Amino acid sequence: MKQHRSHAYKNYLAALAFLAPFMVIYLWFWIYPIIKGFMTSLSKGSMGGEKTFAGLDNYSYMMSDDKFWSSLWNTLYFILISTPSIVVLGLVLALIVNMKLKGTTLLRTAFFMPYMLSVSVIGSIWVFILQSRTGFIAETLSSMGITMGVSFFGSWGMGWLSILIATLWWTAGFNMILFLAGLQEIPDDLYEAADIDGAGAWNKFRFITMPSLKGVTALVVILQTISSFKLFGQTWLITKGGPGTSTTPLVHYIYQIAFKQWDTGYAAAVSFVLFLIIALISLIQYKLLMSKS
Amino acid sequence: MTSIKRWMNPRVWAYVFGYLFAVMMIAPLLWMLISAFKEPGSTVTILGKLFGTPFSLESFAKVMKPDGTAMMWRWTLNSVIVGVVQTAITVLLSSWAAFAVSRIPFKGKTFIFALILAGMMVPVESIVVPLFQMVTDMGWSNSYNALIWPGMMLPLAFLILKQFIDQLPNELLEAAKMDGAGIFRIWARIIFPLSSSSMAAVSIFIFIQSWNNLLWPMLVAQDTAMMTLPVGIPTFQSIFATDLAVPMASNVLASIPALLVFLFFQKHIIKGISMTGIK
Repeated sequence: MKQHRSHAYKNYLAALAFLAPFMVIYLWFWIYPIIKGFMTSLSKGSMGGEKTFAGLDNYSYMMSDDKFWSSLWNTLYFILISTPSIVVLGLVLALIVNMKLKGTTLLRTAFFMPYMLSVSVIGSIWVFILQSRTGFIAETLSSMGITMGVSFFGSWGMGWLSILIATLWWTAGFNMILFLAGLQEIPDDLYEAADIDGAGAWNKFRFITMPSLKGVTALVVILQTISSFKLFGQTWLITKGGPGTSTTPLVHYIYQIAFKQWDTGYAAAVSFVLFLIIALISLIQYKLLMSKS
Repeated sequence: MTSIKRWMNPRVWAYVFGYLFAVMMIAPLLWMLISAFKEPGSTVTILGKLFGTPFSLESFAKVMKPDGTAMMWRWTLNSVIVGVVQTAITVLLSSWAAFAVSRIPFKGKTFIFALILAGMMVPVESIVVPLFQMVTDMGWSNSYNALIWPGMMLPLAFLILKQFIDQLPNELLEAAKMDGAGIFRIWARIIFPLSSSSMAAVSIFIFIQSWNNLLWPMLVAQDTAMMTLPVGIPTFQSIFATDLAVPMASNVLASIPALLVFLFFQKHIIKGISMTGIK
């Protein structure tokens, strides 16, 4: 009995020693900021200045803040346009790479390469390609005597189209890898059995490939949804959130409140709402994964 | 008849679209590279003139000139320091914690595991405001501490490594215990070497995230000398309104390290991404 107890005690110490460094950093820089952020969201006052308790004032202000709702709608709009296109493009690229054509390594490298670049380089490249008058597309068209009728950064729709193009180009390769992993888990004998039954390529895709990729597709959709909620770099670098606030998503708006208007309490409140939204999506993801396995 | 059959062959279509997509993905990169070799002050090169001379290295020279506007070496160094240190700390601490939760029986394990799992749901973007206050209060502005400690991807690394350690056969650890190996030795001699390939994959995944991080470093590194590449590049480029060559030269220089990493570690990178998906 005594020996058993000392054994448990030893285990406890060992576990503590292995966990402590991780937990210190984790509690300090992940958990504590959530609590501090929530407390800040209940106060009024600027960064570094005096803060006074304000109850739920920031939250009730948020409900009537048009800019908050438009940034939330912008974020949702980006999810609506980016998720289907990233699923289709990622899947198509993965199918192509999985067919083991001549030069597959070359194709895979080409598809994935943009993902390795920094978002700042991505932003810079697409600004110089798309911007009106002095952009690559505009100048190439005008050298052929065509005036570009639309401006890529000039309206809500075109602004989001520019962000979408840059994002697809940047992250298609990442999603391709996820689909590729899914494709490679499909057992070959399923296809061999289908061959014996004389199934065509389309039917094999329709009845074997697509159902087997359900899980990966759900994952890609959720990851893209989460990363859309975190969207910041592309809008900040490419459209600057404009014209007006038409391409300002949620994180971009938080940045403006906190570091341009220095309204810390309100920024913390909007951040907390962002946290709740993403926590909810992650819970759904977790439930989906659990129900699968 | 045969020509129709060929037409219907999905492999033919795969070749057509595959190489078409490849060209579309590579074209902007190629354009960046060629534009960087134009003379400084060159405006956006139209398609017809893209391959025309003169080519020069002047734009690169201008970016590298140590006049304080573009500190390319310093930014690259900062990015490398932050990336390497963040990755090393994250993977090492996560490996220890994952080992403890996976293999050492102790009270409160379920709570610890749930607490770490909950961290997966917290995006750094939603805590930058309190983090910024903390870092300012600690006097960490414009320091490596501020760039490194907040926002490390600890929960993700923990989960992936724990999943791997869970799968290791129990006999391996029991045998080591029989031999009287201490718990740290078990980690160092068994867990660490066996999980090294998972750790490599996780490392590269974390390094890429760190390398690309824009929002947080932008907030805490205002000194030009403390900027990382993603922060420094747009700051430097904002002074060039129409000049294309110099900004593109800085883009090329900023991309070389990441592309080298990619070419050398392609397999690990792909494995790392697949692992985040399969779990």
